[in-house]
Amino acid sequence: MELADEIIINAPKDQVYAALNDPKVLKQCIPGCEELIQHSDTELEAKVVLKVGPVKARFGGEVTLDKSGAPDAFSLSGQGNGGTAGHAKGGADVTLTADGDTTILKYVAKAQIGGKIAQLGSRLIQSTAKKLAGRFFTSFAKVMEDA
Amino acid sequence: MKDEAVTREDRVASLKGMGCSRKRVEDARFTQGKGNYVDDIKLDGMLFGDFVRSPYAHAKITNIDTSAAMEVPGVLAVLTAADLAPLGLHWMPTLAGDKQMVLADGKVLFQGQEVAFVVAEDRYAAADGIEAVEVEYEELPVIVDPFEALQSDVVLRPDTVGEDGSPADGAHGPRKHHNHIFTWECGDKDPTEQVISNAEVVAEESMYYHRTHPCPLETCGCVASMDKVNGKLTLWGTFQAPHAIRTVVSLISGIEEHNIRVISPDIGGGFGNKVGAYPGYVCSVVASIVTGKPVKWIEDRMDNLMTTAFARDYWMKGRISATKDGKITGLHCHVTADHGGFDACADPTKFPAGFMNICTGSYDIPTAFLEVDGVYTNKAPGGVSYRCSFRVTEAVYFIERMIEVLAIELDMDASELRKINFIKKEQFPYKAALGWEYDSGDYHTAWDKAMKAVDYDGLRAEQKQRIEDFKAGKTRKLLGIGLTHFTEIVGAGPVKNCDILGLGMFDSCEIRIHPTGSAIARLGTISQGQGHATTFAQILASEIGLPADSITIEEGDTDTAPYGLGTYGSRSTPVAGAATAMAGRKIRAKAQMIAAYLLEVHDDDVEFDVDRFVVKGAPEKFKTMKEIAFAAYNQAIPGVEPGLEAVSYYDPPNMTYPFGAYVCVMEIDVDTGVTDIRQFYALDDCGTRINPMIIEGQIHGGLTEALAVALGQEIAYDDMGNVKTGTLMDFFLPTAWEVPNYETDHTVTPSPHHPIGAKGVGESPHVGGVPCFSNAVHDAFRAFGLRQTNMPHDHWRIWRTANELGLHD
Repeated sequence: MELADEIIINAPKDQVYAALNDPKVLKQCIPGCEELIQHSDTELEAKVVLKVGPVKARFGGEVTLDKSGAPDAFSLSGQGNGGTAGHAKGGADVTLTADGDTTILKYVAKAQIGGKIAQLGSRLIQSTAKKLAGRFFTSFAKVMEDA
Repeated sequence: MKDEAVTREDRVASLKGMGCSRKRVEDARFTQGKGNYVDDIKLDGMLFGDFVRSPYAHAKITNIDTSAAMEVPGVLAVLTAADLAPLGLHWMPTLAGDKQMVLADGKVLFQGQEVAFVVAEDRYAAADGIEAVEVEYEELPVIVDPFEALQSDVVLRPDTVGEDGSPADGAHGPRKHHNHIFTWECGDKDPTEQVISNAEVVAEESMYYHRTHPCPLETCGCVASMDKVNGKLTLWGTFQAPHAIRTVVSLISGIEEHNIRVISPDIGGGFGNKVGAYPGYVCSVVASIVTGKPVKWIEDRMDNLMTTAFARDYWMKGRISATKDGKITGLHCHVTADHGGFDACADPTKFPAGFMNICTGSYDIPTAFLEVDGVYTNKAPGGVSYRCSFRVTEAVYFIERMIEVLAIELDMDASELRKINFIKKEQFPYKAALGWEYDSGDYHTAWDKAMKAVDYDGLRAEQKQRIEDFKAGKTRKLLGIGLTHFTEIVGAGPVKNCDILGLGMFDSCEIRIHPTGSAIARLGTISQGQGHATTFAQILASEIGLPADSITIEEGDTDTAPYGLGTYGSRSTPVAGAATAMAGRKIRAKAQMIAAYLLEVHDDDVEFDVDRFVVKGAPEKFKTMKEIAFAAYNQAIPGVEPGLEAVSYYDPPNMTYPFGAYVCVMEIDVDTGVTDIRQFYALDDCGTRINPMIIEGQIHGGLTEALAVALGQEIAYDDMGNVKTGTLMDFFLPTAWEVPNYETDHTVTPSPHHPIGAKGVGESPHVGGVPCFSNAVHDAFRAFGLRQTNMPHDHWRIWRTANELGLHD
C-alpha cells in the first residue's frame, strides 16, 4: 500500500521540522496514540489503538528516524505488532519546502500489513490509512497554528 | 393385504422404492429447526477450546508466553506444542502419508496455522485468552508460488530434509528438491512424446485451476468427552468418515478402538471439507483428557476458509495431438500441484494426485502420459476433493479446455470435434490409456440429445449474427456457448487399489427386520445433506418388499453402524448402496426359505414379487414380507434360525463412471464484464436413478457450486502470504440472485457391475459444470482470438480479457 499527499502548514519550516521531531506533539497528533516514548534521538516506541473495519487492536511498535536530510527532509521506518489482530511495517519520506511564512509538507508512505487486519480490512485499509493520515495532519496543522 | 382390488402397480407404488420421487424424510426436522448439529450438543460442564493462530505465513517462533492468558478469568489451560510433545501428539499423520503440526513446533508455515489451544469455560473467555497469549515471531521469507518454491534456497520443511542435507524420500518416492513433495507418473512417456512430435496438429496450453474452498454452511467442529471412570472417549464431530476418524484417533492416541465412540450428528454440508483430521480434533481430545471435562471446538468462518481443506490449486500444462481431420492421437499433461505447508490431500494412498489420470475424459485417446509434481508453499494444507471424486474436477477441466483449444487449432466446431472422438458405445468396457476401465457409457446418444434440446445449430447461427452485429457496432454483448461432456470416476473403491491410511475403501450395510415388518438399516457412510435416509430406504424397499416408510436408516455412530469409509467422492451409492442391495438380497434369500416353509412348497417353487413370495404359477398363494418377518421371529421353522437380519460388506469390483452433456449459453457485456446465463442445460447419466427428485436437487446444488468456482470463488493470497479472501465478504458464495434457471435431463446407462446399476450423481454437476461455465466465457471471445484465460471469471477479469483483446478500443 502506498500513500502520498501534500499539505500546507501555517508555520515556518524550522518550526515544522522541530515539531515533527517532538514526541509530545506527535503523541497529541497520532490518532489513537496512547504512549510515545523517546529512547534516543532517533528511536521511538509507540502504543497505538487502531481500528480497521471490524478489527480494533492495540499495536505496539518501534519507529526509527533518519534525520540525515535535516532540515529539508526526514525519513522514518518502523514496525508494529497487534498480536492476534496482525502486524504492520513500513516507512515514510517527508520533505519540507518553505513557501513564505508557510511550509509545504509532502509525504510518501509505504506499508505492508499482515494478519487478521489485512484480511478483514483488505478493502478498508487504503481508505482507513488515508483517513488516519488526514487526521494526523489536521491535528498537526492545528497544533502549529495554536503554538 | 389380500384385497384383490389392489393391483401390482399399487403394491409397487406403496413401497416408494427405486425410481420414486419420495419426499426427503430428513426435511421434517431440517425445515423446523430440529436438526442436531455438533454445535447443538451441550454437555454438563462443557469447556470451549479455540486456537491462537499465526498472523504470519512463514516465521520462526522464538517464544510463547501463556502466563497472561492463564490469568484471564475463565481460562483453564493453554496447550502448546511443548505440552503435546511428551505425548507425541504435536505432529499428526496426514491422509497423504505426510505429517502435519498439530500445534506450531518451532515455526509456522501458513497464515492461520494453529499455534496454541486455549481452553476456557466459554467461547468468550477463550477469545479473551487468545488475545493474551504472547507469541514472538521472527519472520522468514514467504513463498506462495510453487514454481518459486522449487527454485528457492528457503527450506520450508526442515523435517523432510535428510541427514546429508538432500531431500529425504517422501511417502511417494524420491523428491527432487527440498520443497518438492512427490512426482507421480502415469501412462507411456516415450510413445506419447513420439506420437505428439509426429502429429499433424498439436495444440498446447497452460492453465491454472485456482485455489478455492468447499465452504460448507456449517464449519468444522467437534465435542470430545473423555469418561475417565470407564476409560471411554466419545467424540462428536463433523466427520465425513466417522469410522476412519475412530481408527485414526486410536492409532494416534493409543486408546483402544473399542473405547472410542465417534458420532457424526447432522452435518451441514461437507463437500470434502470434513474428510480430513484436523488439529482441532486432536487438541479437543487432549484437552478433555487433561481437564476431565467435555471440550467443544467449532471453527468460525475465517478459521474454516483459511485453515481447513482448500481445494484445487493445480497448474496444468497440456499438449494434445490430432490428425487434420480431428482424430485425437495423443495427450500429455503436466501438473504442478501446490499443496501448501503440509501434504494433507485426502486421496487414496496409491494416488497422490487422486484420479487425475481420468484426464483423457470421454475420448478415445490411444496414447497418453501424465506427470504431477507436488510442491510445498506457505499456504494452508488441504487439497481435498471439493464436490468431486479425487481431483476429477481438475482432470475434467483440463481435458474439456484442451478439446476447445484443439478445436481452435483445427478451426473446427467444438461439438463436432467431441463427436469424432467420443468413446463409442460398443467399446465399453473401455480400457483408457492411463489405466482405468470405464464400465459403461453411451456418449453419442447423450450428446445428440443435448445438442437437439438446445438447438445447437440455431445457437451457433445466432452467435455468428451477434459477432457481425458486434463488429458493426450494433451491440456490446457477446454470446458464449459453453460445451462440456464429462466422464467421472467415482465410487472408490476396490480394496485392491484403494485405501486411505491402509484402510480399505469398501463399505457396509447391516439390516435388522423387526417382527411386525418394519426395519432398521445401518450403513458405514454418513449423510451431510445427500438424503441417505430417504434413498437407501428406497433401495431396500425395492429389494426386500417392505415400504420405504417402514425402514429407518441410521448412520454415523461407530458404536452401532458397521465399519465403512464414509461419504465423499460420490461413493455412498456406488459402494454403500451396493452393500445395501446385497444385504437386502441376503434378507430375501432367508425370507424365501421361510415363505416356502409357510406355503408348504420347495424353496425353488416360490418367487419374489414386489412385496411377497408367490408360489410359481399360483399367484393367489403367497406370503407377504410382513407375514414372513413375523414368522421369522415367532414360528419354529426346522433348520432355520429365528430372526431376520443381514450384513454385507461390499468391495466394489470397479469404480463407476457417470457422465453427462452440459450446455451453457451466456451473454457477456464486454464493457462491464458482467455475465448473464441465459440457459443452462444439464443432461446426466448416473445409471439407475433411485430418486429423481433428489437427483435434481443434487444437480442444482452442484451446478451452483460450479458457477461459484468458475465465476468468482477463490482463496487468494498476497505475496506476504495473507489470505485475501478469508471472509464471505470477499469469498464468493452465490445466492439466489446469481443463480440461473437450470434445465435437467437424463439418459440411463446402468453400471454393469453394480447390483442395482447405480453410479452416483452428487458430484457430477460440479465436475461438469465448472468447465461448462468456463468454456462459455472462452467461447464468447473465441472469434476475437482468445485461447485461454484463467478462472475465476469474475466481472473484473472478464473486463480485462475484453480489454486485452482490444474490444474497448
